[in-house]
Amino acid sequence: MKLQHYLGGLEGLPQPLNLEKRVFVEEWEKRIFGIHVAMMGLSNHLGSALPQYPIAEVPTKFRDEWTWADLRTGAEGMNPFDYFKFRYYEKWLGGITQFFIDKGYVSEDEISALLGASPPQSAETDAVAIDDQVIDYLRRGDSPRRDVAHPKFAVGQQVRITNVPAGAHTRLPGALRTRIGTVTRIFEGDYAYFVHTGDGIGDPMPIYIAEFTPDELWGTRAEPGANSFYAELFEAYLEPVEEDK
Amino acid sequence: MTDQFAYPSDREQTSAERVAALEHLLIEKGVITGQTVDKVLSYFESEMTPLNGKKIVVKAWKDPDFAARVVVDTPAAIAELELPEGMAGAEGEHLQAVANVPGVHNLVICTLCSCFPWPVLGLPPYWYKDPVFRSRAAREPRTVLAEVGVELAEETEIKVWDSSGHSRWFVIPERPSGTEDFTDEQLMDLVTTESMIGVALAGQSS
Repeated sequence: MKLQHYLGGLEGLPQPLNLEKRVFVEEWEKRIFGIHVAMMGLSNHLGSALPQYPIAEVPTKFRDEWTWADLRTGAEGMNPFDYFKFRYYEKWLGGITQFFIDKGYVSEDEISALLGASPPQSAETDAVAIDDQVIDYLRRGDSPRRDVAHPKFAVGQQVRITNVPAGAHTRLPGALRTRIGTVTRIFEGDYAYFVHTGDGIGDPMPIYIAEFTPDELWGTRAEPGANSFYAELFEAYLEPVEEDK
Repeated sequence: MTDQFAYPSDREQTSAERVAALEHLLIEKGVITGQTVDKVLSYFESEMTPLNGKKIVVKAWKDPDFAARVVVDTPAAIAELELPEGMAGAEGEHLQAVANVPGVHNLVICTLCSCFPWPVLGLPPYWYKDPVFRSRAAREPRTVLAEVGVELAEETEIKVWDSSGHSRWFVIPERPSGTEDFTDEQLMDLVTTESMIGVALAGQSS
């Protein structure tokens, strides 16, 4: 199991909540955020996205796939103690730098040689088409919807959440595993995921909202009062409840 | 003693220099241009900000038909408004609004990462990305809300929405009483990012 999959409901954490409202707490964090968005907007998979971006014609040297799945897989694969130690964008900086090193775009030596150096001279170039693609991606997005829904389960039906071994990446919140919920909504479409995670998602499939009672999720450790917990779950994470057991 | 949790004294300086070096190299090698990062940041600073969400909320407060539509087919309803192009763009492909009503308070979280409705709320504040919030809000939302000044009546139901699928959720908070004569601008001032995720009420001083 991966601790990062089980954050929901974890106990013993600090009180009261620190409501830090800034998006970036250090100026440098903006730069790694911008690099990440650029990678998403230049990802080679966007040629098959619904907006049919002309990605092969964009004059970037970036020729790999980069999606949320890559960033999330990296964060979920971290030493869990490091996951808690490092701030949000520190994790991004580590993961994205390592990606560019692993794929041969840059080397650690090149980075080291530039530490403390002044930024490169930059002028408007014909490579503006790179920026246009990134902004076009932001405006038009990358919807995972691929078809109308073909659901196996019905609204009102009780479902049990699967308990398959953890993959490198998941969209199944750990606290829901083996729990029983009630389907309250079936979304209109079938939805793909960026990658096949190894725990059942990837190909287009229905997504449901399942409702869970606090008692079902947390037992005697539930907070008193009228609360409901709703999760959006890919169909692969749902099983029928066997009434006879 | 372990040094697992020791931070070097030049922690921020090192990160700043490393990200600058990385961006420098990516520009030099033709992956991005010298303007790419600034253009991305400018897009979020100028167009994809919580102002869009505020306009949606105020419209819902003033127009009951819109309020009914926006929670059923959120993208179609907000497409009626004069908002920047791109409301269905990145992280807005499948927006879903939920409305607070007397007796029901909604709270949006993302226990697995930090899914956030970028086009209508801009980028997520740090509290939303904090593992402490993501963990605690799932199991003890009432306690967490009380800590940040949202004292709910015992009988008020709290609905916690975990963004584990394709939707990007936001909350239409309740309109505060005594605001019947407010202008749109005054109403928008009552709406915060926090109130549109559910960790504050509209008009709550913070």
